[in-house]
Amino acid sequence: MEIKELEKLLLSVQKPGRYSGGEINSVIKDKSKIDVRFAFCFPDTYEIGMSHLGMKILYSQFNKREDIWCERVFAPWLDFEDVMRENNIPLFALESRDPIKDFDFIGFTLQYEMSYTNMLNMLDLAGVPLRSSDRKDLSSLVVAGGPCVCNPEPIADFVDLFFLGEGEEVDLEVIDLYKEYKKAGKTKQEFLIAASKIEGVYVPSLYDVSYNDDGSIKAVTPLHNAPKTIRKRIIKDMDKSFYPESFVVPFIEIVHDRAVQEIFRGCIRGCRFCQAGFIYRPVREKSVDTINRQAKCLCENTGYDEISLSSLSTSDYSGIEPLLNKLLEWTDDNHVSLALPSLRIDNFSDELLDKIKHIRKNGLTFAPEAGTQRLRDVINKNVTEEEILSTCKTAFLGGYTSVKLYFMLGLPTETDEDLKGIADLGQKIVNMYYDMPERPKGKSVSVSISVSTFVPKPFTPFQFEPQITEAEMRRRQEYLKSCITTKKISLSYHDSSTSFLEGAFARGDRRLCNVLENAYKNGCKFDSWSECFNLEKWLDAFEKSGLTAEYFANKEYSYSEILAWDHLDYAVSKNFLINENKKAKEAKTTQNCREKCAGCGANCYGEGVCFEKH
Amino acid sequence: MRNIRIYFAKKGRLKFVSHLDMTRFMARIITKSKIPIWYTEGFNQHIYMNFALPLSLGYEGLYEIMDFRLVDDKYSIEECLEALKKVSPHDIEFLKIRETFAPMKEIAFAEYVLDFETLNEETASKLSDFLKRESIICSKKGKKGKIREIDIAPKIKSFDFENNNLTLILTAGNENTLNPSLVLDAFFADSKITPIFYTVKRTMVFNEKLEVFE
Repeated sequence: MEIKELEKLLLSVQKPGRYSGGEINSVIKDKSKIDVRFAFCFPDTYEIGMSHLGMKILYSQFNKREDIWCERVFAPWLDFEDVMRENNIPLFALESRDPIKDFDFIGFTLQYEMSYTNMLNMLDLAGVPLRSSDRKDLSSLVVAGGPCVCNPEPIADFVDLFFLGEGEEVDLEVIDLYKEYKKAGKTKQEFLIAASKIEGVYVPSLYDVSYNDDGSIKAVTPLHNAPKTIRKRIIKDMDKSFYPESFVVPFIEIVHDRAVQEIFRGCIRGCRFCQAGFIYRPVREKSVDTINRQAKCLCENTGYDEISLSSLSTSDYSGIEPLLNKLLEWTDDNHVSLALPSLRIDNFSDELLDKIKHIRKNGLTFAPEAGTQRLRDVINKNVTEEEILSTCKTAFLGGYTSVKLYFMLGLPTETDEDLKGIADLGQKIVNMYYDMPERPKGKSVSVSISVSTFVPKPFTPFQFEPQITEAEMRRRQEYLKSCITTKKISLSYHDSSTSFLEGAFARGDRRLCNVLENAYKNGCKFDSWSECFNLEKWLDAFEKSGLTAEYFANKEYSYSEILAWDHLDYAVSKNFLINENKKAKEAKTTQNCREKCAGCGANCYGEGVCFEKH
Repeated sequence: MRNIRIYFAKKGRLKFVSHLDMTRFMARIITKSKIPIWYTEGFNQHIYMNFALPLSLGYEGLYEIMDFRLVDDKYSIEECLEALKKVSPHDIEFLKIRETFAPMKEIAFAEYVLDFETLNEETASKLSDFLKRESIICSKKGKKGKIREIDIAPKIKSFDFENNNLTLILTAGNENTLNPSLVLDAFFADSKITPIFYTVKRTMVFNEKLEVFE
């Protein structure tokens, strides 16, 4: 592609900065000195993909190696895709502007099910056959990682090889093996068989899946001596794990346009609906010194004036107070502001609140997830109403006037009473505000309630549970709406059809590959964008494949049934999940990892919170 | 506190960076360079930067000008220039730095080179005749969205053809900036010629006497 030609076309689309490359800290290498070219693809827009921390880590880590050139690729927005197809421009990597078709690896990070069609679209734009079986040579290997890969079956026919768990080590082991096999002139099949022996590598084509007459899975049989179960990989020592010294700093504004400092992986909580809370176990923290050093280095090398701490539950970091003190020693003087996302309310001390207040004053966000104590016990969200109210009170006394609350609708055992509980809790917060004599003068309170729809996910205690039907989702949304009687509370909820489809794909099996390809052929892409999502096209794709979305989304699995992801080992045992499921039905809570080990199995790595001294 | 002026070229991939994004980009380059930059005082402190003339998205600029302030009286400006060069990506080039300079309001003209994809003699001669007109009325969208008619002929100082290139010197600064695309849009509309693709480079900035503005 002539650069001049490309630049002319870029001038005809929205936000050409998405496709220009050349940003601060982007890596340009001499092609002639490179053994392995890796196209790191994020199947969504530039603004979303560039905000993703995992990509930043692996991009830096791969490029540290002299023999690898890792480049970024994002899904072109609709306008540029049209231009590309009209002018026969194949999908190219941002750094070199070379077509990714000829790269050694085409790697996708899969963060949400609704990005699957974009993966297919990107392969097609690249000019690469969609199905693994149609790509014969040991080149342009399509690999994938990310949380969705814990049930990779719905995309198993398209991807040659999956990385389970954290990629820092296993990715490079696979790249090294590839180099060796490529040099020796081995075949793709020989390479895949050898790769399947590396821990954390899942090669779906080496497993045969058979089904019973009722549609359930009969057996998953490994071929060519592939391992029976594949265990995810983790980084054991977070202080020694690779962390980028700099990020690529985009020209255009992205979703999270700031330096991001990871502080720990995993979550001690074990909320029963939360996939992240289980698949990233065990909790492994970085030390205060490591975090402080890395954070400072990032700010210096990026020029960012804002840094956020990243983890699943930042206030559970065991050294949060010393950490904040240490960071505040230099952030103010360097004109850097600190942002703290995802704070839980049950260990939110006055002192901590004071420190955050000093940092920045924006709205408070809490996630009670359910409206009644009974349902909160079912989902193991160990937060009480008093705690929510007392935290709100502290916040109001500190001058806050707006609170955002996150809930889920359609949780197992949910009744209308639980939904009414959501509205009641909002009302109690409003009432409390007006009952406070010391409330900020002349200011009104605003409580925003945001309600998403529960999607049962693999490797959670709720993996066995059916999702409620789409019609029932809408009924419950309407009911909840009718329970809210004040304008001080604003209600927003997720689109029910997207949640329904997500439900089908989260727990689906290999037969969904055909559905996905049909949906793609029907023109589905950017399904997480409401302006692009089209349920009819999806339902048509299911019909063409002789399947229904309801079968996968609304199905209840027995404890003994083989699940599509049972041959993958994410370190939490199925027995533990069954136990937790039973406890949920009895509304019995489980203590967090620091209070008492629940015996999930994640201690198998010999590291992390399981071995912390209390 | 010292007032500093820096001159730079914005080329290649950077032409897809809008002016707003450019200000954010510069702030990050400056932070990265660790030069003793002056921040505005007040509730929302930020790096003080003043650009001479914003550059349209898609244009290259070979003589771009930005003012800022340094807080350290002893810090040499040569060192400052080196520090900025060291942290800059490929397509931005810091050219020179000065501590004495003319006020921005003395900017009067800017020179643009338009590189046409194709330009046959007939079109060139029509364009040449068009640019010589005493009056060229075209409609321009004002800041408040109001469309008003203006005569751009007095704003065209000079022009020159060479192969596929047209060099235009147009008025600039003091709310008097004429964008070359407005001239070409008017020409294509008037002559009913299908618009030809061209790229734009702003190559120089001048004062009232057509001396290089520094």
